[in-house]
Amino acid sequence: MKIVIVGGGKVGYTLAAGLSAEDHDITIVDNNEDALRRAGDTLDVMCIKGNGASVATLTDAGAADADVLMAVTSQDEVNMLCCLLAKRLGAGFTIARIRDVAYSRELDVLKQGVGLDMVINPELATAVEVSRLVRFPSADNIETFCRGRVELVGFRTQKGDFLNGQPLSALTRHLQGLPVLVCAVERGEAFSIPNGSFVVEQGDMVYVIGELYGIAAFFRTLGRLTPKAKNVLMVGGGRIAHYLAEILDKLGMKVKIIEKDADRCLSLSAELPKALVLCGDGTDQELLDVENLRGVDVFLAITGHDEENLITALYARQCGVGKVIAKANRQNYAGVARAVGIDSIISPKLITANEILRVVRGMESTKGSVMSTLYRIAGGRAEATEFVAGPSTRNLGVPLKKLRLKPGILLAVIVHGNTLTIPEGNSVLTEGDSVIVIAAGGAIRDLNDIYAEGRA
Amino acid sequence: MNYRIVLKLIGKLLLVLAAAMALPLCVALLYRETPVPFFLAIGISLLFGFVLSGIKAPGGFFAREGFVAVAAIWFVMGVFGALPFYFSGWFSSYVDCFFETVSGFTTTGASILTAIEPLPRGILFWRSFTHWLGGMGVLILALALLPKLGLRTFHLMRAESPGPTKSKLVPKLSESSKILYLIYTALTAALVLALRIAGLPLYDAAVTAFGTAGTGGFSVMNASIGAYHNPAAEIIITIFLFLFSMNFTLYFLLLSGKIRQVLKSSELRLFSFLWFAAAAVLILDIRPLYETLGETVRAAFFQVATMISTAGFATADFDLWPSTAKMVLFLLMVCGACAGSTGGGIKAGRIVIFLKSIRREVQQILHPRSVSVVKLDGHALDEGTVRTALVFLVTYIAIAFLGAVFVAQDGFSFATNITAVFSALGNIGPGLDMVGPAGNFAAFSAPSKLLLSVCMIMGRIEIFPILVLFSPRTWKVN
Repeated sequence: MKIVIVGGGKVGYTLAAGLSAEDHDITIVDNNEDALRRAGDTLDVMCIKGNGASVATLTDAGAADADVLMAVTSQDEVNMLCCLLAKRLGAGFTIARIRDVAYSRELDVLKQGVGLDMVINPELATAVEVSRLVRFPSADNIETFCRGRVELVGFRTQKGDFLNGQPLSALTRHLQGLPVLVCAVERGEAFSIPNGSFVVEQGDMVYVIGELYGIAAFFRTLGRLTPKAKNVLMVGGGRIAHYLAEILDKLGMKVKIIEKDADRCLSLSAELPKALVLCGDGTDQELLDVENLRGVDVFLAITGHDEENLITALYARQCGVGKVIAKANRQNYAGVARAVGIDSIISPKLITANEILRVVRGMESTKGSVMSTLYRIAGGRAEATEFVAGPSTRNLGVPLKKLRLKPGILLAVIVHGNTLTIPEGNSVLTEGDSVIVIAAGGAIRDLNDIYAEGRA
Repeated sequence: MNYRIVLKLIGKLLLVLAAAMALPLCVALLYRETPVPFFLAIGISLLFGFVLSGIKAPGGFFAREGFVAVAAIWFVMGVFGALPFYFSGWFSSYVDCFFETVSGFTTTGASILTAIEPLPRGILFWRSFTHWLGGMGVLILALALLPKLGLRTFHLMRAESPGPTKSKLVPKLSESSKILYLIYTALTAALVLALRIAGLPLYDAAVTAFGTAGTGGFSVMNASIGAYHNPAAEIIITIFLFLFSMNFTLYFLLLSGKIRQVLKSSELRLFSFLWFAAAAVLILDIRPLYETLGETVRAAFFQVATMISTAGFATADFDLWPSTAKMVLFLLMVCGACAGSTGGGIKAGRIVIFLKSIRREVQQILHPRSVSVVKLDGHALDEGTVRTALVFLVTYIAIAFLGAVFVAQDGFSFATNITAVFSALGNIGPGLDMVGPAGNFAAFSAPSKLLLSVCMIMGRIEIFPILVLFSPRTWKVN
């Protein structure tokens, strides 16, 4: 597909990197020479310097015959104008990043009037993602497939878990009847897709996939279905905090927000009558102790400073808070944070990019099998991808035991109509099924790519 | 420096080179000549190619690796491309073969052969075919053929394609390379056809077309194009030399219907102006040497086209022309063709930048507080591009003069030394005096030949990738 990305910042770059790896024709438009140079040097994309909200630049970038135009500059108004103009020029599908809370309430009007096909609000998307983690505190990261029916959950094994020290095949007693599958294990730097003889050890990052209730039952068996979180403490009162407080409030949780800026506190407390808004420095440990940090179920560090977030999160972890989530926009901080024990790191930019990627992938129906969802797990060392089997998918109706898959590939879940199965030897694929594939190293872009040459 | 990845890239390129040698091999078989030199050369290239491309190369590929790879690849092409010549036995030393090959790949067209006609047709075909390959760039061909190099390949394209600013035609690099080669191939095919219709034998039409397309200048005749005594062919070549010295991006714009943008190109305007102005001066200057005006005009235009495009063909021995004419031709040699073409020299695009910089400097003197940017075709050029162009000019001139001092050790005339080095650096071929159209480079000593070969490569890949090799930092592993 021909894709024009207006705005070459972090989000734009991440989008371009993801999409160009999937063989699309990407053109990036930006005003900033440095951003363009970085993109042009490292990615196989075309760069055009200019104001993305001008017709001349958009025409130059080929917006007229673009299949998708994404406006992801830091300014809402520019993004909207981009999409409006591009749509008039003839672009197929337009996506705008819009973050202002005021605009986000008027989205329906904007979508019609401006011709936006999709609006992405990074802060809102992040808040939704975080709320999922808050609801499910035992997990360190959660990805959803098949419109939320299937979840892929990563968690770290602790001392005394029944998983430890036994080969997976011996665990059927515990997992009897549960529609879940251990699909990936990360141990330190090593990553593997486990088979029956794999032995999980304490401290491993284990990824299980399955239907919602199955996952819940799994954690109950594990004795880790922590009671629902009640008290949430947030440091940082930005837009994410605003959206998140609204969501958590509806779930009946008590929210405390610590924010430095007094004016911001006033407006927050006006907008969120139920939340307790505190004006103070979130990095001040005394303030945290006074506000009973040890007593909260979930601690969120979501200020605008990655470093502050990580440090306060570390302190909370040290104080024994059960669930600690920190925001870090820099990708390379995630690895460092994992090393010191903060497993839940969220990055709004990445979430935004992933959301858009998911939509674009869903649009690409020209290929035989539609890739509708893709997540990178285990620090990018594996990909979990959801495909829909199409007419050109090979080996439909052949039992899996007769097929040979490439090494490092796991067929984790098959969703046929309303039934979800964890595949075994006799399972078959039929047209229209959704399939979730775990691939070590990634690079599976079509369902036919999973088969090794020839049959077993 | 990630040595492994550079070696791996060299390996892949050798495979492409081996495949390219299959064509002259077929020609040799067709004319019932011995194919042994080609078999040996292909065998050796394949052997090295497979060994090197099998290297496992983890790690990054950045600007440094890109520049070193480009520089290394042009030397490697010279070394391996020389093998057929060496095994053929027609050349007196390996240095001569290397010189001839580098001269071919860099589209210089300077020869050390004193008599060309007796050589086997397969060997001469390879000699001309190197022009065609080198004209658009072997790496760009490799990028088109091997899109999944899995590298940050833009560094390669940037280092290999000539001109002050580089841009892609379409988002994907491999697609861009394919489009460039398609345009190139189509124009070459048109030229072969036109020459064939003008009455040249197919073989001569093909090799002449290779020399013209790459703006190289190797001919299979001692007297170059003049040997055919075919006015129609001369006119055809004149026109096509102009076409091949245009920026190939303009063809892409033409194909996508943006004719206005093409006509507005300030580089093309300057280039056309130089072309016609130089021709006018030549016509006035050499009129007494020819009987009819038609002959004069034809000779003048042909010589202007061949010098400014840096092909270096000849229909007349311009070394015998009056000194104004010689000086004008020398200026054209230095100036060169348009950026993004197959030609060499400093490039008309840079000349445009120089002229605009001069104007800005004057304005700055008159209005010390004025602020102005250099613009090219309506787009502001960033200071970095202007600076790089100016530094390029200084380096170019400095290398030319230092090279001339080195070559002077051989004891030839002043004009010979200066024009030989400028001719090598600008990828033209002939110079004046001893290296004039009637002469050749055979008399130079081996060290001078090697230096001139390096100059040719420097000129082709625009100096800096070679200078990068001289920086000790380049070679540090970390």
